[in-house]
Amino acid sequence: MARPRPGGPALAAALALVLAAGEAAACDRPEGWTGGARIAGDLWTAWWRSEPAAIPVGAHFSVRFHLCGPPAGRVRVRGWMPDHRHGMNYRPEVTLNGMSGTAEGLMFHMPGRWQLLLDIRGAAGGETLTAETVLE
Amino acid sequence: MLSGIAAPAAALDFTAGEQRRILRHGPWPPASRPDPSNRASGEPAAIAFGRALFFEPRLSVSGRVSCATCHRPDRAWTDGLPQSRGQRAVDRNAPALFNLRFNRWFGWDGAQDSLWAQNLRPLLDRREMGIGPGGAARLVRSDRQLSCGYRRAFGEAPGADDERIFVDLGKALAAFLETRVTGRTPFDDFRDALARGDAAGQARYPAAAKRGLRLFVGRGNCAFCHFGPAFTNSEFADAGVPHFIGPGRVDPGRHGGIRKLRRSRYTLLGRFNDDAGRSTAAGTRYVRLRQSNFGEFRVPGLRNAALTAPYMHAGSLATLADVALHYSTLDEERLHAGGERILRRLDLSARERADLVAFLETLTETAPRHGFVGKSGAVQCR
Repeated sequence: MARPRPGGPALAAALALVLAAGEAAACDRPEGWTGGARIAGDLWTAWWRSEPAAIPVGAHFSVRFHLCGPPAGRVRVRGWMPDHRHGMNYRPEVTLNGMSGTAEGLMFHMPGRWQLLLDIRGAAGGETLTAETVLE
Repeated sequence: MLSGIAAPAAALDFTAGEQRRILRHGPWPPASRPDPSNRASGEPAAIAFGRALFFEPRLSVSGRVSCATCHRPDRAWTDGLPQSRGQRAVDRNAPALFNLRFNRWFGWDGAQDSLWAQNLRPLLDRREMGIGPGGAARLVRSDRQLSCGYRRAFGEAPGADDERIFVDLGKALAAFLETRVTGRTPFDDFRDALARGDAAGQARYPAAAKRGLRLFVGRGNCAFCHFGPAFTNSEFADAGVPHFIGPGRVDPGRHGGIRKLRRSRYTLLGRFNDDAGRSTAAGTRYVRLRQSNFGEFRVPGLRNAALTAPYMHAGSLATLADVALHYSTLDEERLHAGGERILRRLDLSARERADLVAFLETLTETAPRHGFVGKSGAVQCR
């Protein structure tokens, strides 16, 4: 569930893609994590987990993530309800520390199928990783 | 040989998925804790002071309008009018004051992020009470009873800082209004019977209400927004209700609410929040302004809804039957939802609409704890 975006100069991007694919394939659960889920894209693979672990309906939660792949320059975290075609009423704040990060201030404000989207950008290009969850 | 075993009729009514969706509307009442942004929250002396303030007409510029003018305890804490009238007419309906302690946002547009800040709004709005910080502080300092109530509630005499006294009045009012939590309803009895597998308890719930409940959690899509024990997700929606308020004037709803919130001095991110950790301020910190907020209004809780007509932000629908008809015949062209696809014209039959109303009526508390609460019960303060 990844949508690659155009990257930088062709040669550099191609090289980065090859390296990234190799790196992304090997992405172990971050040390100290007991839960979490993995999303694999073409450039990056992400491990993510929510806090609290069970995402509540109508209450704020945060997401921790760890990326494998080429260096990430910017990560945006979003929520999207595909059946209703709307996102969240809140804009989370992402703190990125190397390849790990935290997004604070998410809220899925109704039950149903939600997508958690990680928009990742770096010198190697851009990609959106998507995880799905159904809230009852 | 199962044919000889008569499964209770009530238990057969709902699928496993429906049962899960029904159960999430309880239990009631939910656990609650004092509001950390309000040091007076849950304090008996502040509750008593807030109650006195609620019925105090001198908190208006004319000396004739109190909170209870538009939020009458004998009318389910509203006034029964489409649009209320304080000092002058306003553009919106006075919502009932039930279950406010569970809200995240306050006012139809969510321009306030705490109950204490919401209580300041009519004191600032000259159409409603309009006394403002200076007038309110002078009144509290000069009146023996109010001064005594303030001292008891906040542990010190009203000082020289008008704005601090003013905000504290909002906090005492909040302490009082937090106590207005609705009681148990026939729906709660049914829901709890479902939770414990009590067929006899489920069978006592009327058949029409069960059919309405099935619509509510199913085809009606009502429970997407009217979610959880309080029947609201405490967020905002465009319900396809016209928001024109006069020639060339529209009510911007949530769009205007977020803009007001960001300009306000009285938010959870400001200096009047008593919680240094800002533990309840996430909504204010991360709220996002979008074009689709235009024409959105707060999703009201539905407990005791049968007592609080008329409905919608400007009281445009007189009865619950009108509300059911509105969603049944919804004009999707009126939605300003920017491509959202939540609401759809439901095309309910007359019987289905009646069933939906029958269900909503079972959200009315059976032993009202909100009968008349008058000023006469106020304790004299010395």
